[in-house]
Amino acid sequence: MPDRFRHGSRIVVAAPICRGMTPDHAEKRPNMSLSQRQLALLLIAPGLALVGALFLYPLCFSLISAFTGPGGGFSLQAFAKAYELYSGDILFTILIVVTSCALTALAAIAIAGTLTLGESRWVVGTLKALYRWPLFIPFIVAAQCMRTFLAKNGLMNNTFVSMGLMEPLQAMSFLDWRGIIITFVWKQTPFVALLLAGALASIDRATLEAGRNLGASRLRVLIELALPQVMPTLLVALVLSFVTMLSVLSVPMMVAGSQPTMLTVDMAFRINAYGDYATANALGVITYLISAGAAIIYLRHGMAKENAP
Amino acid sequence: MRILSIACSLAALIAASPLAAQTLNVATAGDQNMVDYVKDYLGPMFEKSHPGVKVVSVGTGPGDAGSQKIYEKLDAQKAGNATDFDVVVIHQKAAGTMVKEGLLAKYTDKVETAKMVSSEAAKNSLGSDVSGFVIPMFQSQTALAYNADLLKTPPNTFAELKDWVAKNPKQFGYNGIKGGMSGVAFVTGWVYAFGGDADKLIKGPYDPAVKAGWDKALGELKDFNKNVVITPGNAGTLDMLNRGEIAMGPVWVDMFYSWQADGKLPPNMKLKLAAPGMPGQPMYYAVPDKTANRKLAEEFIALATSPQVQADGIVKKFNWYPGIDAKNLEGKLDQAAWNKLFTDITPADLSAKAKSFPIAPYFNDILESYEKKVAN
Amino acid sequence: MSHVVSWLRAALAGLLLAGFAFVLIGPLANLALWSVAERWYTPYKLPVTYGTRYWEQVFRPTGDAMASLGTSVWIAVLTVVVALALSVPAGYALARLKLPMRALFMIVFLLPQAFPSVAIYINVARIFYNLGINGTVLGVVLVHAAHGLVYSVWIAAAAFAAVDKDLELAARNIGASGLRTFFTVTLPLAAPGIIASGIFVFLESLDEFTGTFFVGVPQVTTLPLLLYNAAQGGNYQVASITALILLVPSVLFMLFIERFLRADVLAKVGA
Repeated sequence: MPDRFRHGSRIVVAAPICRGMTPDHAEKRPNMSLSQRQLALLLIAPGLALVGALFLYPLCFSLISAFTGPGGGFSLQAFAKAYELYSGDILFTILIVVTSCALTALAAIAIAGTLTLGESRWVVGTLKALYRWPLFIPFIVAAQCMRTFLAKNGLMNNTFVSMGLMEPLQAMSFLDWRGIIITFVWKQTPFVALLLAGALASIDRATLEAGRNLGASRLRVLIELALPQVMPTLLVALVLSFVTMLSVLSVPMMVAGSQPTMLTVDMAFRINAYGDYATANALGVITYLISAGAAIIYLRHGMAKENAP
Repeated sequence: MRILSIACSLAALIAASPLAAQTLNVATAGDQNMVDYVKDYLGPMFEKSHPGVKVVSVGTGPGDAGSQKIYEKLDAQKAGNATDFDVVVIHQKAAGTMVKEGLLAKYTDKVETAKMVSSEAAKNSLGSDVSGFVIPMFQSQTALAYNADLLKTPPNTFAELKDWVAKNPKQFGYNGIKGGMSGVAFVTGWVYAFGGDADKLIKGPYDPAVKAGWDKALGELKDFNKNVVITPGNAGTLDMLNRGEIAMGPVWVDMFYSWQADGKLPPNMKLKLAAPGMPGQPMYYAVPDKTANRKLAEEFIALATSPQVQADGIVKKFNWYPGIDAKNLEGKLDQAAWNKLFTDITPADLSAKAKSFPIAPYFNDILESYEKKVAN
Repeated sequence: MSHVVSWLRAALAGLLLAGFAFVLIGPLANLALWSVAERWYTPYKLPVTYGTRYWEQVFRPTGDAMASLGTSVWIAVLTVVVALALSVPAGYALARLKLPMRALFMIVFLLPQAFPSVAIYINVARIFYNLGINGTVLGVVLVHAAHGLVYSVWIAAAAFAAVDKDLELAARNIGASGLRTFFTVTLPLAAPGIIASGIFVFLESLDEFTGTFFVGVPQVTTLPLLLYNAAQGGNYQVASITALILLVPSVLFMLFIERFLRADVLAKVGA
């Protein structure tokens, strides 16, 4: 069975770009088409219901609160306040998350590329054994690790100083925006690399070999031949990472000082210091708009696929 | 498989609705050591004197955030007929809100030890009248911690501190206002020092025009911030002191002592309360209005505020200033343990320079002005 | 000459790998070091005294670290069951059946990951109090399941998409019913991917803090609650020890996930 599985799946997966060519179920049995659509909705309904009841419905209260003025009635006052006080933090949040995603993507491509195209067995083996370690570490644990690791006299700088790589006076603290980015990249790279390595492993090796045989360097093969084929996977992994980073509270709270800081910290502060849910929810909506940017990229890709011939 | 899983969830449901004889749920907004204080010290003591009762201690996280979670939980249960928590340990700001919204019970007339508290803090919480609703668990204080090896003569006043920081850039650290109350206390102290009349802010009445007078002080704070390190949280400040990355920073006195006892601060660290002073605040014991175990809750608080427990638990174990008046502790405590409270900060310092936080509206004005003028 | 070049290459690769290992393992080693540090302060680069005092504190008789760990794992297991019960049909529908606005449905499952959760959970708690399921394992499981659903649905859909349609058709051709084909061909073939998705849900649940607090406390307490308090309060030793305990299931899964998460499934996640 496993053999057949491997064989069979390779045919389907061989080149994701050819997916449109796979004969479609519905086309073979047109009379099933309508009932199949209903069946699909029926099957997906319980999951949607859970998200609806435990997320969308409570979310409505937040939206209402964000758009309600102090005297009741519709108002954009909370957003005005959010902008007045936290415009810097909004920008900061976007910069942090975008930079983290970009660096995560680069690191993941480097790792996954080496795993796929690496020629030295021990390099690939060691890398494979190493890279997944942070995959399942909770953000709060990651933050806890990093705040004592990256500090000016933390374990990292101390190690460098002890090894003679650095003078004690050159030591500097990374517990600011750099710390947040480092923690995010450290935590998310294995996830993206895992998905990417999977995707790379399942593309058609013959093209890559051909590229190599024509004398292209491995870097060129990776960038020009392999990556374009796995772009969708990379995109999806990055969208997931993007929204996750946006909603993490513990990392910016524990790793960096609060000026400037990320929107989750501002939200928590708005609630804890002032009991001001309206502005907090407005900040939540702003966060959502930022994620919407990511979601649109995802949707475009999804739509493009659906409309493919 | 599916059937098995359903059976499992049903079993879980049954297991989760306890048939417990009687459970007293104590929620503490505070650091782990406060949660453990109830779990390991007060709880077992209370269970011994009340057979059949089980004390469950839950922590909701340190700082106002922890109190806010308790508030949210009680508020969510407003419509129900019983609350999850029977005793809550909360900060001043939340206490005022909870009393105003009718979430707390007036209970102190039923508790004998309430008579041993004469401090203003038991009646007035940042401008809200809370008399009858709270008894202080302990009183704590913020102060500047400094490394006595690096710094022989710490600044006596905020003005001296300003000069010192200008001469020693990046040697002073505090956590802004979003990372915990020690930073908030420092900013409040700054406004007390350079922003005009501290007494007016502490006693009220509220005048919305006052905040306009802080512009200069906050502008100077913005300049001051250029030469300081903004640390991640209360713990972050202590942590940087620990690793010698900063030489001075505002801390909670009790946290300072427990970190030192835990070996996370060099033994040569000292405390200094710079003039005109910095704020401190009590933690309160309170009883939610809708608790199903009101009588037990009152008895629990009576035990927790009894002189012996205050002496052994609060002063000796944790280096907190007692919640009840100090004279009640006489004879319950050896002199050495008492004196340790005042090693760096003398009783005279405390009476002159230990301030309250300002009343709630001024408090919010300070925070928001800081966000507007200093942070953004 | 080529000898030197290949030697240089190997050295460079080794150096890069060593740096990589330091970056990955360093923070974790730091955690382990803190868990046995009894005294550690400037100017010492390593702990001044080592000991197990804080381990004893975490595992003391009145402490409930082990009980909390038990609850955490139990909740995580139930969350996986609920999430899989919902995501297997949903994943199949998304992968195999013609669904209008498919990408939009996929996004709906992503939503709970994207919104900062505090504000949502306060409202969920209100709803649960009305239903009487606040403070029950069921309530916590539902909240965790909603949060983890994006992983289980997206990965399950990928797993189904990776199953060869020809095999299903073959089964249908020899007369198996649709349902029978699903249970004897499709599901077994997709199983590794589905198990992997369950692992993601399990770990997501194991880390969750905010929802557990609003929906579970005080009747249900989990280990991340303890970790959160200790970490926020700066009790590094207790936080490190709790973190290490939480790491045990994580690392176990990390070692085993390769077996379940095959390349061909990974290639289709979220697609």
